[in-house]
Amino acid sequence: MSTDCKGAPSTNYTLQELLVAAAAREIKDNEVVFVGVGIPCLGAFVAKFTHAPNVVLVVESGCIGSMPYRLMLGIGDNACNENAIAATSLWRAFSDQQRGYFDLGMLGGAQVDKYGNLNSTAIFGKGDYKHPVTRLPGSGGANDIASSAKRTLLMMNQQKRRFLDKVDYITSPGYLDGPGAREKYGYTGNGPSVIISNMAIFRFDEMTKEAYLDSVHPGVTVDDVKKEVSWDLKVSPNVKVTPPPTEEEVEIIHILDEKKIYTGKGLKELTFESYIGMLEKSYTTLKSMFPA
Amino acid sequence: MKVSKVMTAKEAVAKFIADGMTVGVGGFFHAISYAITHEIIRQQKRRLTICQPSFNEHADQMIGAGCVDRIVSSYVWMEVFGPLHCFRRAMEKGIPHKIEMEDYTNFAVMARYLAGSLGIPFIPIQSMKGSDMMKYSAWMGEGKAKLIRDPFNSKKEYVAVPALTPDIGYFHVQRADEEGNCQMWGIWGDSPWSMRACKQVIVSCEEIVGRDVIGRDPNRTILPGYKVIAVVPAPFGAHPKHTQGYYDVDRDFIFQYIRESRSPEGWKKFMDNWVYGVEDREGYLKKYIDTYGMKKFLNLKAKDISSSSVNYGF
Repeated sequence: MSTDCKGAPSTNYTLQELLVAAAAREIKDNEVVFVGVGIPCLGAFVAKFTHAPNVVLVVESGCIGSMPYRLMLGIGDNACNENAIAATSLWRAFSDQQRGYFDLGMLGGAQVDKYGNLNSTAIFGKGDYKHPVTRLPGSGGANDIASSAKRTLLMMNQQKRRFLDKVDYITSPGYLDGPGAREKYGYTGNGPSVIISNMAIFRFDEMTKEAYLDSVHPGVTVDDVKKEVSWDLKVSPNVKVTPPPTEEEVEIIHILDEKKIYTGKGLKELTFESYIGMLEKSYTTLKSMFPA
Repeated sequence: MKVSKVMTAKEAVAKFIADGMTVGVGGFFHAISYAITHEIIRQQKRRLTICQPSFNEHADQMIGAGCVDRIVSSYVWMEVFGPLHCFRRAMEKGIPHKIEMEDYTNFAVMARYLAGSLGIPFIPIQSMKGSDMMKYSAWMGEGKAKLIRDPFNSKKEYVAVPALTPDIGYFHVQRADEEGNCQMWGIWGDSPWSMRACKQVIVSCEEIVGRDVIGRDPNRTILPGYKVIAVVPAPFGAHPKHTQGYYDVDRDFIFQYIRESRSPEGWKKFMDNWVYGVEDREGYLKKYIDTYGMKKFLNLKAKDISSSSVNYGF
């Protein structure tokens, strides 16, 4: 279940901002969270500046417990180890995670199936692994996180071709082929707890391990979501409407992502000067609001 | 006797990197030696197997230039900026030639390096189990990874990955002395284990310092010089990536590469400008300043945010 956020709901927000807030609410205070880049990362930062000030953020490059006052665009950015508890190696970050110290990992992919298995390696099309129609980046740390973090949050674009009965290639294990599979392999982690898409939020049935529809975003219907899922989607009898972000959450998002790099199309118009300008402004503003 | 290992990138690459070698590439988004990468491309090295937990556009440039046959990695992409076009052209269409990638995870490549650094043949890990990385492999076949049972108490299954010990590795660090004692701070990424796993190491650095500078802060040393065969002075040697305390990432420049490399022709034009058309790193920096101006160049330079020093006294 997500954290209930107190504060006035925003009446003026975008879909991307709702997604950031939804990701933020999956984080509880004092948790250790493995962050990557993109909307989930922004969500983790928002959590840190709102309901989860004691969250420890960890980045694959080996940065533990950073207190970033500016957006990270890469997992090797200088912002990753800003005011960190430890700047160490990739090996150290991942060994702590394999040892079971990390509560939540945040992942994305090109395809997901009903058991939360993710593909970020290759779209086979008419070919195969060695001759894919589209080669994707590969696992990175995703498989490691999916194997060993206590739970994972998956962030996906809602499209029928992405929500599949079976993915072409299992890069990162969800519940594999259903109940008992994770136990059989003896993973340290317990598997995915939520999928957040641009239309809805899905959670996993404790018995069947299948993803079911838990809430739809404002303005989206259950049927709209079903049309963009390839399997026979189960719907919670108490299906909700995803709560909007609070005014406070939207304010933090605006400060961190002023140029709408993650929450809009800002990446295309970004210049070096505007990027540096945004980082410096957000650093000054957030540092005065939240001194270390 | 003290031996200076200082030489140019051109000399180091010509002397120590041969066609067909397995090459460990150091750095993790931070501190990637473009000084050495571009020299490998200019000297048209061929049939390399390149290894790194995660690769960015430095791999893409070597792939486009036809230097690479095989990749050991978990990731070849440009994060939120999207795909690397030479990588995809080579994997999907065999342009300029078909390449293979042995898909691991970040941790698995790192674990292979750790085994290499320890001089042991393999290491068991928790990752990859149940995934299709165990089902599919490239040239390594069944030698990619194996399920083994804990011979001691748990009897649980683990994935054993083989030690990775590249013929040569190249790394970028903030400072080194003439013998190759290296100090690095900020994001270490795969160092220091990857450095120790490589049979020999070329180091490029922002500054050559005296042995006394190393000795005053020995906790900062990431690799002692006995593993290093060449020390290459290379200020701004990781540009367009960053080196903590020296300069920041040049995103504009990376965007430009990604935009231009969408077509093989655009890629060639970029590379003619910035790699083939310059003699060395000095020429590259001169061209950068001529093209974008000193103001932009200086804008990249890091602000002074020094750590507090510690007392090594006794």
